[in-house]
Amino acid sequence: MVGFRLSAQKPPEARRINDDVIMRFDHVYEVAPEKMQIFPQQDIPAWDTLRIVASRWDHLDWMHAHWADSILSVEELEAEEP
Amino acid sequence: MTTAVALSDPVLDELRAILGEEGVLPNLSARYNRTRVPSPFPVHRWADYVPDVVVLPRTAEQVSAVVKLANRYRIPVVPRAGGTGLADGAVPLRRGIIVDVKLMNRIHDIDLVDRTVTVGPGINMLKLNEELRKYGVIYPDDPASYPCSLVGGRIGTSGWSLIGGRYGHTRDLVISMQWVLPNGEIVEIGDGGGRKIRKSSTGYSLKHLFMGSQGTLGICTEATLELVPRPEVEFSPFFAYPDFQTAYESTGALTKSGLATLAGVVLFDEWKLRYLRRDDEAYIPQPDNVRAVVATAMYGTKDEVTPAAKRLMKIARETGGNYLGDEISQGDWAARHDRYATPLHGRLRNGQVVPMSWHCEDAALNYSVLPQVRLEWHAIAEKYIDRYGVFDDWGMFFYTNAAHKPWGDYLVEIDIGIWEQKLNDENWAAWVQCKREITEVTLKYGGSITACHGSTREGDAEYVPAEMGGGFEVMKAIKRSLDPNNIMNPGKNELDRAYEDGGFAAGEG
Repeated sequence: MVGFRLSAQKPPEARRINDDVIMRFDHVYEVAPEKMQIFPQQDIPAWDTLRIVASRWDHLDWMHAHWADSILSVEELEAEEP
Repeated sequence: MTTAVALSDPVLDELRAILGEEGVLPNLSARYNRTRVPSPFPVHRWADYVPDVVVLPRTAEQVSAVVKLANRYRIPVVPRAGGTGLADGAVPLRRGIIVDVKLMNRIHDIDLVDRTVTVGPGINMLKLNEELRKYGVIYPDDPASYPCSLVGGRIGTSGWSLIGGRYGHTRDLVISMQWVLPNGEIVEIGDGGGRKIRKSSTGYSLKHLFMGSQGTLGICTEATLELVPRPEVEFSPFFAYPDFQTAYESTGALTKSGLATLAGVVLFDEWKLRYLRRDDEAYIPQPDNVRAVVATAMYGTKDEVTPAAKRLMKIARETGGNYLGDEISQGDWAARHDRYATPLHGRLRNGQVVPMSWHCEDAALNYSVLPQVRLEWHAIAEKYIDRYGVFDDWGMFFYTNAAHKPWGDYLVEIDIGIWEQKLNDENWAAWVQCKREITEVTLKYGGSITACHGSTREGDAEYVPAEMGGGFEVMKAIKRSLDPNNIMNPGKNELDRAYEDGGFAAGEG
């Protein structure tokens, strides 16, 4: 059994998005570390960040299915037009 | 005016005789966990609000017996459902007994012929709808706390629903209730008589009196609810605008479109966009010229929604809206059913992140005054942010507020973050004063203090007589008549005034 190793789950280097925001994984925005001096962000292994993001999308998909049988997109709506 | 008597062993023994050992929780954790709600709370005075005991009834008869006992001993009683309220309806101001209804969570009857479902007040709407799905029906009461609030709390506050423009709000979706009055009597409450009758002219319409009574007139122990066909299709486009005024006028055009499937429209102002661009993944990438947003949602059959969606898109574009795309629209709309899943933080003036709790103002105001109210509310918030450094302006939403018709009046929300760890008497007093100034603007423009949370906390409650006018005298007369000992949720809605000329109050016996 392979034990948990934080070093193997180190997130990628951050890219600067703007004065307030950085990005380590595509489409996952994080508050810039210099804006978290009072309450520093805890270290989160890569698998856990990706798990949280995937769970969020699962939750939103679940919520759509909960409220209606199907979702009509604008892309689909406008594809129907002559 | 009133204080609870300390609960003695004989009282606890009587409660155990009513509810069984497992139904009476005098331990500290049970009591502290049922003291506050999510909205900003004076944490430096937490101990002042801790109830004396928590009880968990399973039947109306048990609730009735608890209320009768409380009358004998003059002990305050505060009903509590999910405890997710954004005002203080479920917060005990005079300690006493918390009646937690979470174990009264059964579905008693599903009637697919007359289209009703009868439930206990402790059931959650999401769980209810999971069960109803197999029958092709839904109970469409959809607050921001949808996954965690309970039917009893929705009734206690007369809640507002995100999709109320089509389906109505809690008061429109509850057909009748079983109710324990402040004297312990169990009665049926409806529009008239008939548990499943939606419209009656017999007698007084008591349903509306008890709806939103915030536990001051007794406790709901059962509710018969509306069932509607489960929607075949959801359509939820979001639009971007270069300025607030254009978005505001577009909102007016959309809401007056006459499209019957339009369930809700939400207008975001420039402050909200600045806040979201700072901290929300959907809005961080938006260009600077996106300064206001309008969200819309339609539900119904495919044959209804498809042509209506085309008309809605045409109106939005002709009035200056740019479609934000399927991913943002669908993702953000799904997230609106569950705002309590959002971790909250705010910013200090220097941009530093700190944990903050969420104040959500919820005035009801007419469309014509929204632009001016927005400016005055933000100016008030700015003043207190500058002076005290523990608040943050998270912007404003304007939600359609009328039932079954998305025009006319709006639930107007300014969201303000409060750094609770920094609360002390001075900062809390400043916050209450900030609330009062916001409330005074609402009343100046002919609005109502609260569309859905209830006027149960400092900064709101003291304005109830001003908003109600002569109606407040009627409220006092009703309260004193039904609850002569002021047992039920004392201290709320300024109703202690009902007893000022010689009335008898809990804890003074």
